[in-house]
Amino acid sequence: MRNRRMQPIFLILAMLACKPVLLAQTAANPETKKSQSAIHTPDLTGVWANITDTGPTFNPKEDPSFQPWAEAKWKANKNDDPGQPSITNGRVDLDPTIASCFPTGMPRLMTEVMPFEIVQLRDRVLILFEKDYAVSHIWTDGRKLPEDPDPTYMGQSVGKWDGDTLVVDTIGLKDITWLDRRGHPHSDALHAVWRLRRVNHDRLQIDWTFDDPKAFTKPWTGRTIYRFHPDWTIEEFISCEDRLLHGGESLEQKAVKEHSQ
Amino acid sequence: MVLHKDGVEFREGTQMKNMLMAVFLGAAGLLLFSGPVLAHHGRSNYDVSSAATVKGTVTEFEWTNPHALIHLDVTDESGKVEKWIAETNSPNTLSRQGWNKNTVKTGDQITLVGHRVKGGGNYINFSKITFADGRVLTPAIQN
Repeated sequence: MRNRRMQPIFLILAMLACKPVLLAQTAANPETKKSQSAIHTPDLTGVWANITDTGPTFNPKEDPSFQPWAEAKWKANKNDDPGQPSITNGRVDLDPTIASCFPTGMPRLMTEVMPFEIVQLRDRVLILFEKDYAVSHIWTDGRKLPEDPDPTYMGQSVGKWDGDTLVVDTIGLKDITWLDRRGHPHSDALHAVWRLRRVNHDRLQIDWTFDDPKAFTKPWTGRTIYRFHPDWTIEEFISCEDRLLHGGESLEQKAVKEHSQ
Repeated sequence: MVLHKDGVEFREGTQMKNMLMAVFLGAAGLLLFSGPVLAHHGRSNYDVSSAATVKGTVTEFEWTNPHALIHLDVTDESGKVEKWIAETNSPNTLSRQGWNKNTVKTGDQITLVGHRVKGGGNYINFSKITFADGRVLTPAIQN
């Protein structure tokens, strides 16, 4: 009777005795070692919302040093409407996403109001954007950027961890998009290097360097800040649904047109 | 001076200047220090120099992108009905503030405060809605 009562205790003791052996075996496995080191990778996962006090741009103090063609484009895009804050969105009637319904694209999505979610996978970091329901794949599996990529709205991105910072390289972007909400233009030679760091539990800071030999005369730098929203989920935002529903024009455009007739 | 025209109230004139300036400076400060609060296309389409109030009856609530839209009938003192459209935040932003497709219903008597579109069409971007039962909602992006 007494022995039977003791059986579970012996079983537990036996399991505990084996545990260090199991642990030792686990530690010796190189694959598991790799996953253990992954545990120490900084955690950027979650929903983040832009709180950059510079609003729609990466750098409110200094515009990029543009090549002449890009300078002319910037002057056209810039919103000088009286009554606007000095640092504001570019001209609505020239905005590729608002006036023409093009995808927002990178890196402008990182200056948008709507939040994004970061998901960290074994081989890549995903950024799920609420705006356009777009996804950025940042490959962290050691692959190189393609030599001469076909341009896309989201581009090609690779990343590597430098201590607590994820360093991302992005190339292969279409020149149809604006670089930011402010209306700064760029070419398809744009190369963005962005350094993402969670400066504390609630803040994600990204330091940017943009090199664009076709559009800029020298690299342009900036910084954006995001607030952590653990209770938020990513919703859906599609730019031009109203126009599709109302025969190619928004109801705002129709109202103005009807009034002027 | 407060003008009433076709059920629409515009606050204009020198008496309102100080208040408007305060509102404007407050709004400018908000925009400056919380840039992302700006709606996706900013305010440049709207006459931010004067606040417009529109009272009417909802005929349709469109839960669409890039802005949720309220269609409403606005009746002036002579009984003439004008069709108005009022836009606010996008559905994704509104749902985060507790709104859904049923928050505004056909037949609701509402009062909206916002800015009228430049060019003078019957279209406003509103930031405050008051229902007949006194409920007040102030949609705003809260990053």
